Amino acid sequence: MSLALPYRPSDDTASSLPTPTHLSKPRSLPRLSPSPSIIHNRSPSSSHLSQVSVRRRSLEHITGGRRRRHKSQYPQDSPERHVEYILVASFHIDRGPIMEHQYPAAISGDESMLAELMLPDQTHVRSQDWTIFFLHKDTSGDEDEDDSVKGKKKKKKRAVSGLQEGEGPDNDAAENDDLDESSEESSDDEDDTGEGPPLMYVLNLVNTKQDNTVKRGAVVKAMAICTRHSFLHIYKPLLLLALEDYFKSPYPETLASLYEAVNAMDLSLLPKMSLLERQILQASNAKDMFVEKFEQMIQQRMASEDELTEQDDPSSPKKSTSSRYVLPRDTHEFESRVVYNDIPIPVKVPTVIWPEVVGDFSLIKLIQIFSGPHASSPQPFPVHPHLTTSGAFTHPIIVLVNAMLTQKRVVFLGHNRPSGEVAEAVLAACALASGGILRGFTRHAFPYTDLTKIDDLLKVPGFIAGVTNPTFANHPEWWDLLCDLPTGRMKISSHVEQAPVTEGYLFFQQQNTLNHGHSSNSNTDPTGDNLFMEDVQRSIANRYGENAIRAKWRAYITKFTRVAAAFEETVYGASNLYIIGPNEELSPESPSGFQADPHDPTTIRGHGYVWPDEASKQRELIASVSRIEGWRTTRSYYSFIQDIATMYYPSRPIQKPDLHHHHDRLRKLKLTPQEAKSIYTAISHAVKDYAGICQLLTVTPENQAGLFYLSMGLFHSEQAVREITADLLERIAIHPAGRHFWAQLSRFVKLAYFRIRRERDAAQSPVMSPETALGEPQSLVGVAMGGGSRIS
Amino acid sequence: MGGSVSKIMGKIFGTKEMRILMLGLDAAGKTTILYKLKLSNQDVTTIPTVGFNVESVTYKNVKFNVWDVGGQDKIRPLWRHYYSGTQGLIFVVDSSDTARIEEARSELHKIINDREMKDALLLVFANKQDSPGRLSPEEVTNALQLNKLKDKLWYVAPSVATEGTGIFEGLAWLSNNVKTPPQK
Repeated sequence: MSLALPYRPSDDTASSLPTPTHLSKPRSLPRLSPSPSIIHNRSPSSSHLSQVSVRRRSLEHITGGRRRRHKSQYPQDSPERHVEYILVASFHIDRGPIMEHQYPAAISGDESMLAELMLPDQTHVRSQDWTIFFLHKDTSGDEDEDDSVKGKKKKKKRAVSGLQEGEGPDNDAAENDDLDESSEESSDDEDDTGEGPPLMYVLNLVNTKQDNTVKRGAVVKAMAICTRHSFLHIYKPLLLLALEDYFKSPYPETLASLYEAVNAMDLSLLPKMSLLERQILQASNAKDMFVEKFEQMIQQRMASEDELTEQDDPSSPKKSTSSRYVLPRDTHEFESRVVYNDIPIPVKVPTVIWPEVVGDFSLIKLIQIFSGPHASSPQPFPVHPHLTTSGAFTHPIIVLVNAMLTQKRVVFLGHNRPSGEVAEAVLAACALASGGILRGFTRHAFPYTDLTKIDDLLKVPGFIAGVTNPTFANHPEWWDLLCDLPTGRMKISSHVEQAPVTEGYLFFQQQNTLNHGHSSNSNTDPTGDNLFMEDVQRSIANRYGENAIRAKWRAYITKFTRVAAAFEETVYGASNLYIIGPNEELSPESPSGFQADPHDPTTIRGHGYVWPDEASKQRELIASVSRIEGWRTTRSYYSFIQDIATMYYPSRPIQKPDLHHHHDRLRKLKLTPQEAKSIYTAISHAVKDYAGICQLLTVTPENQAGLFYLSMGLFHSEQAVREITADLLERIAIHPAGRHFWAQLSRFVKLAYFRIRRERDAAQSPVMSPETALGEPQSLVGVAMGGGSRIS
Repeated sequence: MGGSVSKIMGKIFGTKEMRILMLGLDAAGKTTILYKLKLSNQDVTTIPTVGFNVESVTYKNVKFNVWDVGGQDKIRPLWRHYYSGTQGLIFVVDSSDTARIEEARSELHKIINDREMKDALLLVFANKQDSPGRLSPEEVTNALQLNKLKDKLWYVAPSVATEGTGIFEGLAWLSNNVKTPPQK
């Protein structure tokens, strides 16, 4: 059927639509789509699948559709299992914690240490407790002593040294890469580079059952699931059922049936996404963002199943009904199920996996725990330049983030609290400091640990640990920052190492004495942290969701890295945190907005963070000197540099201009029409294809006004600027992700867009009816034929 | 600031604070003693301690922060982490477990020979005095070789923890002999 339909080949620019004549540069890229409205009105139901495929072919340059088969995040034929081990431990009244069973095989490493971790302190005072801990274990699984804390230290050394040697290529990615994939896709398999094998996450459930028939009156047993997936919380209901079964039948068979059940879980229809796509999806609230990918996964599956049916392969399971596959209600998560003992248990797997985001913690909860006491009766901290960046009354959450950024030892103490609660706090703190951008926190986190591991713990620099034993409070030599969960107070240790005096510090000290008159003393919040925390707390009070708060922290960490890059450039003349694009120079010589090549608008200069003026830049840099300098020697700093080179930078198809910088200029600065023109021109020239639009969308998230600032180009005083902006918005509007951004623009902006289109079309092709130019909702087939007939 | 107020109050009314560490072999009765102290008149049933318990008990104007740490031999190496700042050690012995009294002696001497415990008072509860075949307090004293100790203030109190017999007498001895102010 689709063959019979006339469609525009993507490279056929001349014949399909009126060619714009007013642009100085000839277009090399296709003119696309008569109207965005037909696309953003489209419902994501599968009944549109055939239509989608037609549209795809014609617009594939921007929509990124048929280029290649979509890959699954968790392919069916992957040798990797969802769950690698199931363990059971118990507290023996004479011997203490012992391991009872391990399935399918004994996990290598220190068995008794594992058993201790599985039976957290004070488990005897509560009937049930959850814990999470991490193992550092190779995928090969044949090394002997590589898990456990011992392995942890070894791995850490390797990971750190690996930074220089570029060690640790991702074997799994190489294995899984289908040969028919384009090379571009392989650059998306960036996870885990340089940090050694992925962590093994352990979710553990302990039950204490009072039982008068046994010696000393109680049985304490724990069951744990070991997985490489960071969404380990989905296994909670299964552990509850399986541990209950194990109390009844304490045999390896119970472990085996759980193991089979969880590994039979099918996630193969979850499409793989590129880094930019993941960033867009996470920043978006649209429940059908990238639903096209899910559609295509289903199509692919149905097609391959049809093939199987044709071949009449008796061994293959024949489930030809397409109703079996449903699109997700919300593309942020993928729904599947695990059938355990004939009970189907629904599970939801997050579509986007970020580094350092493990389990189901709540940033809101963490922030509230430590904000409450601070708001009602603030207590001064002893001042430490790395930590108390806004003075003695710095918000505790900022102290926590500073401590983690500068790699201090952080302990979360929850005396008389379930160990699951301290583990959650540790995981939340890791996500807070990482923002999904920086790494190296979870790898040195001990969500739950106890005294038995203290000697090994103290050998790890900058650990983040959760404990329930209050004796930790009596040992300030063990930690730099103690976060007490029951009281919501933080304590900076009397043993904390003093911050060294650094080059950057001296640099700004000199600067400060030079322009002493108008220094930062007048400004009470030079870092903006107080303002930021107020905003976060207001958002929490106004019931913004967890996602909104996480997005704010992501933006906070992004800003921190950009300020740090500006700092390095100012002090050291160059930054490790920014790869200078082609034609770009370091800032002092060439002001932002200068066009290096008069014939190429994309060579517009300028990069990095944007301040409204030089004074506010100086003020913020001075206020941030200590923590940036503190960060510059840490693991997360070095792995970030590495990530920029191997992951963030290569994932960006547009190296010039710096989209983020110039979009920031639109947002923050009062620009002259000429300056604005050069920005709009540069962005419109640079952003043409699918990936380019993705990149642009990552700097225009919904919570930062979306496309609003770009759309202001529609009101520029020059017609040429208005038109190139309209072109850009048009490309965005037919982009699978961009259409959601387009839909959020105000009616006022959209009317301006249609007016510009109408004016231009009227000027160029008087034959065309005004309805078509207006872009009334109509079927794609009609438009395509209409376009064709116009020409003929 | 709140802390300094209570310190002043403490000076006026003579309230002292004392950090107590309670150790002993597994199943000696440590947790039972702790909760008999805390909940004097109630029946206490305990199960093996995984890790530790800690409770505050005020007796005769002294606030005792009592740490009770699990006694299985594998977890005994952890005891040392509780030493620092401890002013009094309560060592609980099951007087009827004659087979392990030598093991108890060895563990006790390991503890009190630690540098961090050199100033701590030593109270030994010769527990389970209601059991047949128990050792008397004197026999426990000899078995633990307490007479060999030098520069150590120690006391052996007979007790039946399940009934609450003897344990407050032991505490009274501690509160009468504590002198050093609590370390921070």
